[in-house]
Amino acid sequence: MAAALLEPALLRRLEGLALQVRRAVSGQMGGERRSRKRGQSVEFADFRNYTPGDDFRLIDWNAYARLDRFMLRLFVAEEELPLSLFVDLSGSMDWGTPNKAVTARRLAGAIAYVALAALDRVRLTVFADGPTSGGAPYRGRRAAAQLFARLQSFPVGGVTNYQRLVWPIARQRPGLSVVITDGLGDPPIDGALVALQRAQQEGAVLQLLAPQEIVPDWSGDARLKDAETGLEREFTATPLTQGAYVNALAQRTAQIERAAVRRGLRFARLSTDTAIDAMVQGTLRRLGLLG
Amino acid sequence: MTFLAPAAAALALTIPAIVALYFLKIRRPTRIVPALHLWPNQIRDRQANVPWQRLRPSWLLFLQLLAAAVLVAAALQPALPAGAALARHSLVLVDASASMQATDLSPSRLGEARRQVNAVIDQLGPSDRMTIIAVGPTARILASVTGDRDALHRAVNEIKASNGPADLSAALILAAGLVRPGDDARAYLFSDGIVQPLRASFAAGLPFPVEYHRIGVSGENVGLTSLTVRTSAQARAAYLHVQNFGQQARSVSVEWRADSRLLDIRPLTLAAGQAQDLVLPVPADATSVTARLGGGDVFALDDSATAVAKTPRAFRVLLVTPGNVFLEQALRLRADLQIDVVAPAAYRPSAAYAMTVFDRFAPQTLPDGPVLVVDPPAGSALAGGAALGIGRVRAVDAGDQLLANVDLQDVHVARSQDLRASTFGRPLITSLQTPLVLVREEPYRRVLFGFDLHESDLPLRIAFPILTQNLSEWMLPPSVPSHSFHPDEPVTIVPEPGATTVSVIRPDGSRRPIAPGSIATFGDTDIIGAYTVEQVLAGRVQRSWFSVNLFSDSISQLKPPDRLTLPPTRTTSTQATHHGQLEIWPWIALAALGVVAAEWLAFHRGL
Repeated sequence: MAAALLEPALLRRLEGLALQVRRAVSGQMGGERRSRKRGQSVEFADFRNYTPGDDFRLIDWNAYARLDRFMLRLFVAEEELPLSLFVDLSGSMDWGTPNKAVTARRLAGAIAYVALAALDRVRLTVFADGPTSGGAPYRGRRAAAQLFARLQSFPVGGVTNYQRLVWPIARQRPGLSVVITDGLGDPPIDGALVALQRAQQEGAVLQLLAPQEIVPDWSGDARLKDAETGLEREFTATPLTQGAYVNALAQRTAQIERAAVRRGLRFARLSTDTAIDAMVQGTLRRLGLLG
Repeated sequence: MTFLAPAAAALALTIPAIVALYFLKIRRPTRIVPALHLWPNQIRDRQANVPWQRLRPSWLLFLQLLAAAVLVAAALQPALPAGAALARHSLVLVDASASMQATDLSPSRLGEARRQVNAVIDQLGPSDRMTIIAVGPTARILASVTGDRDALHRAVNEIKASNGPADLSAALILAAGLVRPGDDARAYLFSDGIVQPLRASFAAGLPFPVEYHRIGVSGENVGLTSLTVRTSAQARAAYLHVQNFGQQARSVSVEWRADSRLLDIRPLTLAAGQAQDLVLPVPADATSVTARLGGGDVFALDDSATAVAKTPRAFRVLLVTPGNVFLEQALRLRADLQIDVVAPAAYRPSAAYAMTVFDRFAPQTLPDGPVLVVDPPAGSALAGGAALGIGRVRAVDAGDQLLANVDLQDVHVARSQDLRASTFGRPLITSLQTPLVLVREEPYRRVLFGFDLHESDLPLRIAFPILTQNLSEWMLPPSVPSHSFHPDEPVTIVPEPGATTVSVIRPDGSRRPIAPGSIATFGDTDIIGAYTVEQVLAGRVQRSWFSVNLFSDSISQLKPPDRLTLPPTRTTSTQATHHGQLEIWPWIALAALGVVAAEWLAFHRGL
């Protein structure tokens, strides 16, 4: 199931990354994060591949002797980072080529895998007209397959209602939150972002759009049907009307970005025709979400 | 305003059709979009569909209706009444003579005439016809009774000015031949009015009126009207006649050249209307002399003149006479004749003579070639009947070229042989009693005088040397005449006996071959300048020259007359003259193009 969502090669590359937070966090369990509770634990938790920059004192030389590659022994000496993923699977996400919902699942899976590989705790919530919990928090790389399966099990559909995200966000312990959405719901996402700030969440809003909605690839007369509400309207696409749509979309994007920045969140607009690898290694690293 | 294609009004049905299309509702394909609220609420119907809908105001609809209306208006071919009065058949006579090359109008008088005629062509109605005739030394029909405007424009634009005069009479005769009785016809003469005098044959009038459209404004011109080279015992000299035809004094320079060598340049100031003769010695070895006026004026054709300086080759002529000083002197006036005089008893036929003159003597057999016989003795083959007393002497045809400038008014003949029964040839000069002078063409050109010159006062009149000159030049034309000809004037060339090839090299360097062995009439003399005649005799090239110059006071004076004397009109039909039509549909079509372009722009801008 995990292989179906993300390719093994991509997973191996993701293991070299880690979530980055601007301030120290305090999780319930140990992890690789610098914790306010200085690490007393020396309990072995997991192995992971050595990547340049890691503390070479943590290299497991026995493993190196057996496997002929550098492995790091991870101890539950440091505190975990609570990562909350909010993935939009409303009706508007089931659109575009590549499909926005598919890409959102893969992007969420990739971010979650980076966290799981670093022994961070991952809480998954999908939402449309209401939030749906992805179950108990996931921890450790072995939980990745379970999380991926869970991600893919959610149906896509319904009207986006960001207001109903406020309650599950408020329940989060301080940590890192990532919202993956197209940001097209009405009313806008501002209320949810306020809730994130109040819940002392660092993190990012990732607006995911299909290339066909960034630049419409059609013209002429049509009956437009809303993917979420089913409302219809007659429309004639001309360079003039298409320009008006592109402007409206740009204003919506700018509005989300302004609201995110005001709440201390990072923002990025992603197109589904960008490979997941490029999103992670490029956009998210530049954004400072991963390092 | 009239409409040339009223049937095109049916195209107006497109206007309600366009409106009807806007009443139809479009069947639109459904497109799912992620967020409908981001799309502007703008709809434009572009295509017809089945169910009806309410008509919405639309810029596109307005522009399409406007475009359709303007296109229908253009298709109707509206025309406004134009200034010129046109008949159903317009005969346009365009002067293409030398004076139309004058540049007092830009680009020239002919160019202005072309422009005006083209404007008239544009005013032709759908049932109007036009004939275009170029009036030059000859009249030529360039387009005959047609309504095809393109063909008419082409014909007008192809007219080129000649270097010769305008023979208006010939053009009017040609035009009259194209008009049938009862036709509604009118002639339009676009000319500077400098035309040859009308011939007398228009007394009965023309079957159409003629409108004279004067072309040209200025008569300011200085021209060369004569250049000759005369040889005396002492020297040769060129005589040039220069005249200022304008109303203002002019200063010019006169440049002389012998062949291509510059001989002299001298300034010359001429008062209004003043003429001056200039004389310049000519080098003995010069072939031709050219005079050229510097200073420039509106007419270049008379600013240069060429004369041949070489003396033409002489012919040997035998005069067989018991003694006739009148005849001998008259023959000697021709510079290219070498006269040998013998008594009748000493006469021996000889092939060395190009022409033989028998005075009061006739051999048993006439020699081959041209012969002039005066008063053949009784008993000879050419002798006429018994002598008759002669009354008044007159010409058989006053217009005969052989009698050009011959005044017979005061000529008297005492007695003459009765030539009424003679079969010698046609009579040239006659009397009430008998023909006096007969001429024949075949097999050789020959002349028979029926009276003794001593029994007439003809030798005492100025008419005699002129008549002798005319007859001798007719019988024995100069091999190559060395004097100046007018443009398009035919030149008679008699090839030398034994010449294998004969050709004429024109001033522009082009060569025209002539068949050797017979007298040729060379007509390609439209260019002004020196012409060279080359004859090859036993492998040796022999050259002779003649020149072509404008030399026409009537053309050089250039001033277009305000009125032109034209033949009267013999109206045979009601003149249903109407005003021409100025078609405005091209401008409307242009406007339609603009509206269609605006509609296209509006469509693509999504207005």
